[in-house]
Amino acid sequence: MKRNTLVLGAVLLILATFAWAGWANFEYRKQAAEKLAAANVSGELVMDNSSGMPKMVSPLNGKPAPVFTLEDLSGKKVSLTSYKGKAVLINFWATWCAPCRIETPWIIELRNQYAGQGFEVLGVSTDDLDSDNVKTLSSEKKEIAAFVAKMHMPYPILLAGDQLDHPYGGLDVLPESFFVDRTGKVVAVQFGLTSKDDIEGNIRKALAD
Amino acid sequence: MRGMRFRFCLAAIALPCAVAIAAQGQDPISNAPAHSIVKRADVEYLYPEQVTLPAGKASKLALHFRVKQGLHINSHTPRENFLIPTTFSVPEDSGVRLESVDFPPGADFALPFDPSEMLSVYTGEFAIDARIVPAAGDHLVQAKLHYQACTNNTCFPPKTITVPIDMVGK
Repeated sequence: MKRNTLVLGAVLLILATFAWAGWANFEYRKQAAEKLAAANVSGELVMDNSSGMPKMVSPLNGKPAPVFTLEDLSGKKVSLTSYKGKAVLINFWATWCAPCRIETPWIIELRNQYAGQGFEVLGVSTDDLDSDNVKTLSSEKKEIAAFVAKMHMPYPILLAGDQLDHPYGGLDVLPESFFVDRTGKVVAVQFGLTSKDDIEGNIRKALAD
Repeated sequence: MRGMRFRFCLAAIALPCAVAIAAQGQDPISNAPAHSIVKRADVEYLYPEQVTLPAGKASKLALHFRVKQGLHINSHTPRENFLIPTTFSVPEDSGVRLESVDFPPGADFALPFDPSEMLSVYTGEFAIDARIVPAAGDHLVQAKLHYQACTNNTCFPPKTITVPIDMVGK
């Protein structure tokens, strides 16, 4: 009788351990899945009801812009947080991107037009940077600097490489622009080349109180 | 009394088993909100998948590709030096040597936003002529095509696809 009770107790203990292990494993996998989902903030293709055409939307719309600190062409560190209180256009581009070259003069004009109202542009180059090779890196930076000089870009130019790909949704298309209001919230995201009017509309959105 | 004890034991054994099985059966990854990730298949390698060539001799091999509809890629000789050209390469340890590659001429293409700027691009199906020197034997060559694709208003980061060809040198 006593032996039966002991055996039963041992069996129950073992089964309870299995149950706990199963539940702990589920919780671990759930946390891992949530981490994975958070790291893979990606643009989504959704149907635009007004035009009937698919369009890209960003899950960052309405959320705080992910903060970053990047170096500019002179090696100086620039942080997004230092622009709090200003409306900012974070414009991702690359030297090899032909549509980026078309929209840059529009962005420059609009930046000069709205700078007095507390608006700034951060131009972020996503050109590949070979950090392991000093000579190649120097040559790559020179190419970017030459592009900036040719386009007469008057605003800070930051070198990101692929550092901001994950936090900013993959940056699968260029140009890609994030319009950030004075509180640091993303109020609009633009994928690809659209029009100067579209860019201006989003700047006004970012400047609105 | 005995029956009650038996039912109690059964429940005490069945309950933890049920919990463990239920927890293992849950897949938190597929139960998580789905993110529809935009997938790209800009350029596809079509054929040939397998060729037999004279060993130790240079032979011309036509490799066929297709650019996805709505996209264009820069040709091997784009008009501006800031544009990324399409290139083809074969790994050094593949058992075959790439002697030369002839790319087709690009087609003229202008973006709607800037009709004055003419690009040199590949669209639709195109073929490149590679002169290959295989060593004797069977070689599964993982050649590479490097390109950069755009639509009319967006560009995608440069990409390299693997071009798998089973080459037999006889």
